[in-house]
Amino acid sequence: MFRRDTPAEAEFRMEVRTWLEANLPAALRGRTTRPPPSELMPWYHTLSRKGWIAPHWPRQYGGMGATLNEQIVMTEELARVGAPHLPVQGLNHIGPILMEFASDAQKAQHLPPIVEGSVIWCQGYSEPGAGSDLASLSTRATLEGDHFVIKGHKIWTTWAHHSDWMFALVRTDPQAQPRHAGISFLLIDMHSPGITVRPIKTIAGDDEFSEVFFDDVIVPAGNLIGKLHDGWRIANALLGHERLGTSNPQFALMALERIRTMARASGIMADPAFQDRLAAAAINVTVLTALFSHAVELTNSAQSPGPESSIIKIFASELLQALGELAVEAAGGHAPADGPIATDFGEVDVATAFLQARRVTIYGGSSEIQRNVVARRVLNLPN
Amino acid sequence: MDLHLTSEQTLLRDSAAKFIGAAGAKVARGFRGQELSFAPARLREAGELGWLGMLVPDSANGLGLGLTELALVLEQAGRGLVCEPIGLAAISAAALAQARAPHPMLERVTTGAVLVVPALQEGAFGDDPLAPRTQVAGEGGALRVTGTKAFVCADGADGFLVSASGRDGPELCYVARSASGCTLAATQTVDGRRLSTLSLKDAPADPVPSRQSSRSAVDALHNLALFALSAELLGVMEKAQEITFDYLRIRKQFGKPIGSFQALQHKAVDIYIKTEALRSLVFQIAANNDPYRINPALTAAAKAKASEDALTVTQACIQLHGGIGFTDEHEIGLYLKRAMLLSSLFGNAAAQRRRYVALAGLTA
Repeated sequence: MFRRDTPAEAEFRMEVRTWLEANLPAALRGRTTRPPPSELMPWYHTLSRKGWIAPHWPRQYGGMGATLNEQIVMTEELARVGAPHLPVQGLNHIGPILMEFASDAQKAQHLPPIVEGSVIWCQGYSEPGAGSDLASLSTRATLEGDHFVIKGHKIWTTWAHHSDWMFALVRTDPQAQPRHAGISFLLIDMHSPGITVRPIKTIAGDDEFSEVFFDDVIVPAGNLIGKLHDGWRIANALLGHERLGTSNPQFALMALERIRTMARASGIMADPAFQDRLAAAAINVTVLTALFSHAVELTNSAQSPGPESSIIKIFASELLQALGELAVEAAGGHAPADGPIATDFGEVDVATAFLQARRVTIYGGSSEIQRNVVARRVLNLPN
Repeated sequence: MDLHLTSEQTLLRDSAAKFIGAAGAKVARGFRGQELSFAPARLREAGELGWLGMLVPDSANGLGLGLTELALVLEQAGRGLVCEPIGLAAISAAALAQARAPHPMLERVTTGAVLVVPALQEGAFGDDPLAPRTQVAGEGGALRVTGTKAFVCADGADGFLVSASGRDGPELCYVARSASGCTLAATQTVDGRRLSTLSLKDAPADPVPSRQSSRSAVDALHNLALFALSAELLGVMEKAQEITFDYLRIRKQFGKPIGSFQALQHKAVDIYIKTEALRSLVFQIAANNDPYRINPALTAAAKAKASEDALTVTQACIQLHGGIGFTDEHEIGLYLKRAMLLSSLFGNAAAQRRRYVALAGLTA
């Protein structure tokens, strides 16, 4: 968006475009809802076989080791073809954390299946009593000899009902002060006895979220990542990756295309007032691409993204909501239609995307929590 | 977010930061309403530091640097409310250096001995920079220009780079201040400087041809101007917010620093995000574009964003200061006024968004 491709990048772009056009099934294009694993995972496997599933991972772990510009090119091309939202808990969240904090044995066990797409991961952070105040979490892990016993309740767990593994924050020291000093980072096999998963239907009509109950679940002590009671540091590093990963401009680029299609179909495109708002939105998508490139560039040199990832998370999530609102405006009378709207320019699902965008300013730390983080840790404003 | 800079770029930024140590609000205030709104000796100093010739290719005895270096210097100029028109002089030098045989004024422009500034705007809103109403006629080196240019930063200028429509489209012409048929009428601006209307009646002019046939010299200069102003506005925003964040840390009410209140913290973060976003945009454009061939959709985007957000941020800074921010005595108001001036030049946010619709093919 903000640059011209070098000849090598242009060649890579054409290679990606041609391959995506030839290999991405039509039924998976332009979907606003993440398709179920039976539909989605074959596409994951196709990308994996091509070697393109993990552009940002180093080659030693089975990634592409792509340059920043190549990653941006892929993002833009995936947006262009309307590629579906992959399960990213493995690729963007736990993967980089394992690379930074796990033992060699843990890396060898868990990284290859993420690249292959043979396991799906979920994230066990939030609890009914621990949302924005995450450090108050109470799911208990008691060390008994060579294993932990887990008892507790996680919620808002994306794709838990499809997942094979969970990375979780658990309380290993109930007396610790401050509270976050008694939290550990644990990998839990979702097929273990004592785990119950209950999907939660969202206002967008999907069941992306679940709640997960742990009833004396046995987890080997070797599944601990890092040191006992040192999970908070790892959790924060992971949140940095999560905030950066969810700020990938692919989704904003796709949202912008939905608006343009809808605006042509409804006729509002001819209105200068709408054009002005569309320009402002499109400019912000370009800004997001610049912010994302800048943040990825910094992350490449420092491993885990710093508190700056909060800045891009706020910008990206609020932009995605603004784009959803503009799509609703562009749709006019069609806006409340449930599901895709048939137009002369193709199908556009306005309402689902709009409703789904409600969650992006809540998950991974709400916009308000992000602002607290930036105020304290970046701007050094007083308590 | 930090920038990845080479050691040369870091040195350049540090030297620009040192330069503005002798500028700032007090100096800017001193120039308000003066006959000349900057110090010519300081412009020559910028010339000696190489900044005015930084975009000029090596082959024309310039530094042959890029947009990142330009942005680093102008960001500092914005921070320091620098009154010397460093950006306008540097991009004019770049324009004069474009021809195979550089214009005879080039050397003295790069040393700061003389000042040449762009004169591209004609109306308050909606100019097509590539279709000026000003006309140029004549052959070879003997051109005549007739028309009116508006909002020209003419203070102290010895000559102008005027856009005019010729037989084959827009042409860039050099017109000396002293040329016959050239008159200026100045209007005072809120920040105590002047913008002028430049009237040209059969004024003699030299052609300033483009290095590349694919883009006219007018287009190249216009895009450089938008980029340069965006970088300078970034600096204005940065310094204004730093002054404000410092104030939030020390000003006490209800027995506590007001920066501890969440409502103010969130407002502070909002302006910080706008500044960081513009910085990423400006420096990503800089890293990926050649000074003479900047993607015009990107300069429209940057200037739209900079113009709008500089006004939003500096206004929020006044709000966060409370009553003291509304006084002429306090420096924060000077940043709002500088933002008003720079935001308006070469097309404000609304004008840039309108250009962006066409340049990015949004309605297609």
